[in-house]
Amino acid sequence: MKKMNKYENNRVGYLMGLPYIIFFLLFVAYPLIFSFILVFHKWDIIGPMNFVGFVNFSHLLHDSLFWKSLGNTLIFLAIHIPLQIIIALVIANILNQKIVARGFFRAAFFLPVVISGVVVTMIWQQLYSQETGLFNMLLSKISLPKIPWLISTKLAMPSIAIMATWKNVGLYIVLFLAGLQNVPVSLYEAADLDGATGVQKFLHITIPMINPTIIMVLILSTLGGFSLFIEPYVMTGGGPMNSTLSCVLYIYKQAFYFNHMGYAATLGFAVAFIIMIVVIIQRRLFETEIYT
Amino acid sequence: MKKVLFYIVLSLVALSFIYPFIWMVSATLRPESELSNLSPISRNFSTSNYRSVLEKIPIGRAFLNSLFVSCSITLSVLVFASMIGYALARLKFIGRELIFMVILFTMMIPFQITLIPLYVLMVKFGWTDTYQALIVPGMISAFGILLFTQYFKAFPQSIIDAARMDGCSDLGILFRIVWPNSIPALVTVGIITFMNTWNDILWPLVVIRKQSIMTMPQMVTLFAVGGQAPQVGVQLASATMLAAPIVIVYSIFQRYFIASMARTGLKG
Amino acid sequence: MLKSIKSFLIPLFGLIFLSESISLCAKDNVVRLTYWPSSNPEEIELATSIVDEWNRTHPYIQVDMQPLPASQSSEEVLFTAVAAKTTPDICSNIWPGIVPEFALANALVALDKFKDFWDVAFLRTTKNILESFISKNGHIYQMPWKGNPIMMEYNVRLLRDAGIFKPPRTYAEFMNAAKELTRDTDGDGTIDQWIGIINVNPVWWHRFFDFYSLYIAASRGRTLFENGKVDFNNEYAKDVFRFLQEGFKKKYFPMGTLQGNQFLLEHVAIQFVGPWDIGFLEKNKPENFEYDFAPLPVPEGTPEPILTYSDPKNIVIFSTTKHPEEAWEFVKFLISKENDLQLLKITYQMPFRKDLDIDPAFKKYFKENPKTLKFAKQISYTRGTDNIPQLKEIFDAIAQAFEYCCVYGQQTPEDAIKNATEICKQIIER
Repeated sequence: MKKMNKYENNRVGYLMGLPYIIFFLLFVAYPLIFSFILVFHKWDIIGPMNFVGFVNFSHLLHDSLFWKSLGNTLIFLAIHIPLQIIIALVIANILNQKIVARGFFRAAFFLPVVISGVVVTMIWQQLYSQETGLFNMLLSKISLPKIPWLISTKLAMPSIAIMATWKNVGLYIVLFLAGLQNVPVSLYEAADLDGATGVQKFLHITIPMINPTIIMVLILSTLGGFSLFIEPYVMTGGGPMNSTLSCVLYIYKQAFYFNHMGYAATLGFAVAFIIMIVVIIQRRLFETEIYT
Repeated sequence: MKKVLFYIVLSLVALSFIYPFIWMVSATLRPESELSNLSPISRNFSTSNYRSVLEKIPIGRAFLNSLFVSCSITLSVLVFASMIGYALARLKFIGRELIFMVILFTMMIPFQITLIPLYVLMVKFGWTDTYQALIVPGMISAFGILLFTQYFKAFPQSIIDAARMDGCSDLGILFRIVWPNSIPALVTVGIITFMNTWNDILWPLVVIRKQSIMTMPQMVTLFAVGGQAPQVGVQLASATMLAAPIVIVYSIFQRYFIASMARTGLKG
Repeated sequence: MLKSIKSFLIPLFGLIFLSESISLCAKDNVVRLTYWPSSNPEEIELATSIVDEWNRTHPYIQVDMQPLPASQSSEEVLFTAVAAKTTPDICSNIWPGIVPEFALANALVALDKFKDFWDVAFLRTTKNILESFISKNGHIYQMPWKGNPIMMEYNVRLLRDAGIFKPPRTYAEFMNAAKELTRDTDGDGTIDQWIGIINVNPVWWHRFFDFYSLYIAASRGRTLFENGKVDFNNEYAKDVFRFLQEGFKKKYFPMGTLQGNQFLLEHVAIQFVGPWDIGFLEKNKPENFEYDFAPLPVPEGTPEPILTYSDPKNIVIFSTTKHPEEAWEFVKFLISKENDLQLLKITYQMPFRKDLDIDPAFKKYFKENPKTLKFAKQISYTRGTDNIPQLKEIFDAIAQAFEYCCVYGQQTPEDAIKNATEICKQIIER
C-alpha cells in the first residue's frame, strides 16, 4: 500500500512539474545557450550569422560608451541606494510607532510604487523642466537661481536617481515595516530599563535586527538600478552627452537601433557579470560588518 | 505643540508623494498657458486634451490589450505556479531537489542576458506582433513557484490525507482543498504578477510594433517619445488614462497591495 | 471571486478573437495586396485616396492600406517586419539608407526584373537620380518616389522688423541677422525670441535636417563617402560644425525643448525644413503670418546654385509577396502623373519627376501654390545618402559629435569632425 502510494506520487509530481520543465527549457535554458552562442557572432537578425570569435569582447573592452553607461549606472546607484535606505528607514521607523492615520500615510508613500514608471517619468519631466517646471518656478519665487535638472550633464543622472527614489521608497518602507514588526518588543523594553535614548535604540537594536531586510533592500535596489531603462528612455533619451545612458538603454540601442544582436548579447553577459560582482561585494561588506 | 508640528511635517512629506499626481490630473484639464501655475485650480477647465488623445491613438483598444494580457498571465501564473509549488512542497519524486535548485537559479539570472535571445526566439516562432509574444514567456514565474512552495509546506498534512482517502486526485486536492485555504498566497502572487505585467514596458516595446496589439503603457510611452503629441497637456492626459485603472484598483484593495509586497520581502 | 473573473475573462477573450477573425474572411480569386504608407495624417489621406481609386478600377486586385505602425522610427518597424517575415507587399515610406541592408537579406524584389521597369523609370525620373539608387550588385530595389529638399524657411515680418529685407545667404550674414533677431521681447530678463531652432535631440535622423543638409550645401553636393570610403574630414564639415557651435554658444538657438511649434508661434525666425511644412503652416497659421523660403546658408564664396539634402522616400516590393506582378502594377499606379499631382496637393511633397517645374500637368498647381515652386526647382539640386548598410550608425556617430561639439561646446569642430570620421571608419571595418 505504502509503496503504491509513493510510486503514484512520483508520476504525478513529474506531471505537475512538466509545464515548468518545458517552460524552463524554452524560455530560460534555450535563451541562455543561444545568448552564449550569439556572443561569438555578428548578426543583424535578417542576414546570415557570421562567426567572429572574440571580436565582440575586444570591441567591448574598447567601447567607451559601454563603460560610460556602466559608470552612469554606478553614479545612479551611489545616489539612489543610500538615499533610498535612509529615507525608507526613517519613515518606516516613524510609521512603526502609534500614530494617527497610520494606514493613510502608509498608503500615500506606497502610491508611486503601483503606478507605471512611464507616468511617473512623464510627470517628473515636467517638474524638472527648465523654463516652466514646478521646481524651478518655486526656486525663482524665493529668488534662487534655476537649476538645470535635466540639461546639465552633471545633474541629469542625480535628478533621475531622485525621481527613482521617490517612486520606489514606498516599497522599501513597507519592507522595513514588516522587518521592524519582527523585532521583539522585549528588546526595547530591556533597553528602556537601561535608560537608552531613542537614537541609541535605533542604532543598537533596530539596525542589527533588521540587517537581513537591509541587505535584501540593498540587493533589490541594486538589481533595480541595473535595469534602469524607461526613465532615461522617456526623459532624456540617454542625453545630455550620454550622461544618462544606462546599461539597458545601451543594450536596447545596440540591439534595436543598430541590429548588433551578437554585440548586444555580449553586453548582456558583461552586465550580468558585473551585477554579480557588485552583489557579492555588497554582501561581503554589509553582512560581515554588522555580525562581527 | 511638538506633536502638532510632527503631524504637519509628516503630512507635508506624505503630500509630496500624492501632489504630483493631483498636479498631473489638473494639468490635463488646464490650457497650456496655465501649465506652470502652482495651484491645481483653474477657471478654464476643459476635456479637450482627453478628446485629443482619443482621436490620436486607439488607447481604448490598448487598455483592452493590457487587460487581456495581464489577466491571462496572472491566471496562468496562479494555476501553473501553484501546481508546481504543490508538487515541490507536498510530493516526493526523484529530481525534486534539482528542479528546486533550477528555480532558484533562474531567479538569479538578470533579464539583460535573456532579452536578446528571447526576442530572437519570438521572431523564429513568428510571434512578433501577436498576443502570444506578450503572454507565453510570462506564463510561469519562478517567484510565484517559490512563494507557493513556501506557503504549501505549512499546509496541514491531515487535511490532504483525508481528501486522498476520499479518492481525490492531487490536482483535485490542489484546486479544491488547498486553493480555498491559501487565499493570502493567491492574492499576493496575483497582485504582484498583475502589477508587474500591467506596468511592463521594455518587453512589449521589443516584440510589438503593431498599434492594434500594443499594451497601454507601451502606447503611452511611444506617444510621449514619438513626438505625436507636441502639447504637454495631451501627453499627460494619456498618462492619466494609463494611471487611472491601477489607482482605482489600488484605492480599493490598498491593504492587499501593501500586505502582498511586505510578504514578498519576507519570503523572497 | 474566481467565478467573477471567469465570467469577465471569457467574453473578453471572445471579443478579441472575433475582431481578429473578421479580418481573415476574404473573397475568392481576388488578389489581395497589403500596402504600408507612412503614418502621418496627410500621407494616410493621400494613400486612402489612391487606394480607393485603384480598388474601384481593379476589382480583381484589391489593395489593403495599413499605415506603418507608429514607433520611434519607421526603420525600426520595417526591420522587425523583415526579421519576422511579416512585411507587406508594397511599402512607400522607404528611406534609401536602409535598402542595402534589406537587399543583402533578400527581403526585396529586384525591380529591374520587370521588363518595363527601365522604360517606366526613365520616363519619370532623371538618369542621375535613378543611378544613385542602384545597388552594388547592379540591381535596383527601389522606385524613386518623392523627396523633400531641405530649405531655409523664414518669417518675413520678423526679419523685416529687424531691418533685414533679404534672407541671410552666408554664415556671416546669418550671424549678423542673429544679433538682431535673438532678443528678450517682453523685458523679463530671459530671451524669448531666437533666430533659429535646431533640434538638440541626439537621435541619428535629426542630423539629416541640420548637419547633413548644411554639409551638402557647403560642399556643393558631397556626401559622407567617396568611392566607398569615409570622407568628410574636410573644411566643409568643420565649417558647418563651427557655424552650429557659434549659434548655440551665442544662444542664437534655444537649448531646452520648448512646447509647441516655435516657428508658428513666431518665437523663432528661421528654421530648416522640407515642403511638408507648407501644409502645416497653411492649416494653422494666424492672420498676417508671412513666411517664405530661401536656399540654405553657406560659407562665404560658395557659388550658386546651392544644393541640399533631398530626404528621399522610395517604394519597394518585399520578397514576401505572392503576387509580384500585381504589386508592380500598383507601384506604377502610385507614381502615375495623376497621383503625383495628388501627392503635391495633399502633402506638398515633391515627386522625383523630370522637369517638375515646367511640366504642363503641374503648371496650374504651382501657379496656385507659388511657395512650392521653389522646392520643385530645388529638387534637381539635391543629394541623397550613400548606399552603405551601416548608415544609421554613421549618423549616430555624427549625432554624438554634434551634441558634444555644437550643442555643448565641449570639443573643437576640428577635433569633433576628426573623431567622428575615425569612429565611422571603425564602424565600416567591423
